[in-house]
Amino acid sequence: MTELMSREDFRTALETAIKGNTATKSPFSIAWATGRLSRDHLARWAENHYHYVGPFADYLAYIYARTPDHYIDAKDFLLQNMYEEEIGGDRHTDLLIRFAESCGTTRERVENPDNMSPTTRGLQSWCYAVAMRENPIVAVAGLVVGLESQVPSIYRRQTPTLRDKYGFSDEEVEFFDLHIVSDEIHGERGYQIVLEHADTVELQQACLKICGIGAQMRLLYTTALWHDYVKDDLSREDAEAVLAA
Amino acid sequence: MPKITIHRDGEAHQGDIAADSNLVVLAGIRKFPYPHLSYMCGMGKCGTCKSRIVAGAEQLPEPNWREKKTLGDEALAEGYRLVCQLRIFEDFEIEQEGPVRGPRKRTP
Repeated sequence: MTELMSREDFRTALETAIKGNTATKSPFSIAWATGRLSRDHLARWAENHYHYVGPFADYLAYIYARTPDHYIDAKDFLLQNMYEEEIGGDRHTDLLIRFAESCGTTRERVENPDNMSPTTRGLQSWCYAVAMRENPIVAVAGLVVGLESQVPSIYRRQTPTLRDKYGFSDEEVEFFDLHIVSDEIHGERGYQIVLEHADTVELQQACLKICGIGAQMRLLYTTALWHDYVKDDLSREDAEAVLAA
Repeated sequence: MPKITIHRDGEAHQGDIAADSNLVVLAGIRKFPYPHLSYMCGMGKCGTCKSRIVAGAEQLPEPNWREKKTLGDEALAEGYRLVCQLRIFEDFEIEQEGPVRGPRKRTP
């Protein structure tokens, strides 16, 4: 029978659940990191990514409203996270749009939901469903630990490539730089909340399961970007090199 | 482990951190230097984490474009940096001015 894990063991189990499906393994991420994408590909990425991360404060707001008021630290973290996404400095989606524009697309195209792929729509819908329906601690595990905490490691790998291989300026890639700091805070605070409040076997197991699913959803999303926009544009040698990596 | 010292209003607050850490990330997750560090956006924009480097400057990279834009040449020449833009590997000593600003715990 499964037993209640210590916080240390539970954290290791959460990290393992994410690692199995980390988005850095997707062909789109590999093509990005190896400099094989065009600015058109990156524009399509931005047009999709906007609809996944754009409503992040909305997802968190649903969780916030359903979190019991005696979970003061957890609620304050969610509020802080929402504030930072939207009005703490530059609105994060504005920085994403600045990057998109430097790839040759427009604010209108980015904001238009008709330009996201069905898989992106699926990821966005899953995020809303988790935020609205799951136990709030389980929802934090899925959205913050399972999804947001992956971002620093992904962008730490991709941002130098944007400057060095794709030739973007510092200001054009600010969206990625800021997420290395803010998502490191958000991801770690998410872990703290889940480790503290998932205090039954059932809650721990539900958190582990949704963390794995969250990572799986992000992998699905980035893999679809490869199939929908990239693979037919690359030479056979390049496509094979990406898939073999 | 690098030893961090924060001077403010004549007081010195000290603590140890893991090497290759960002002080704003640590404060954001409520570890030292929380609650002694002023910080806010973590993006190099607001300037809240502006600090005068007292010791340990030799481990730092050259100021990046955000620090140049937010602090300006004069403040950089006087030894000020934005700690949200820095990763710390060795002992480090800074001074911040005024009361601590940034996210606070709610008083129950």
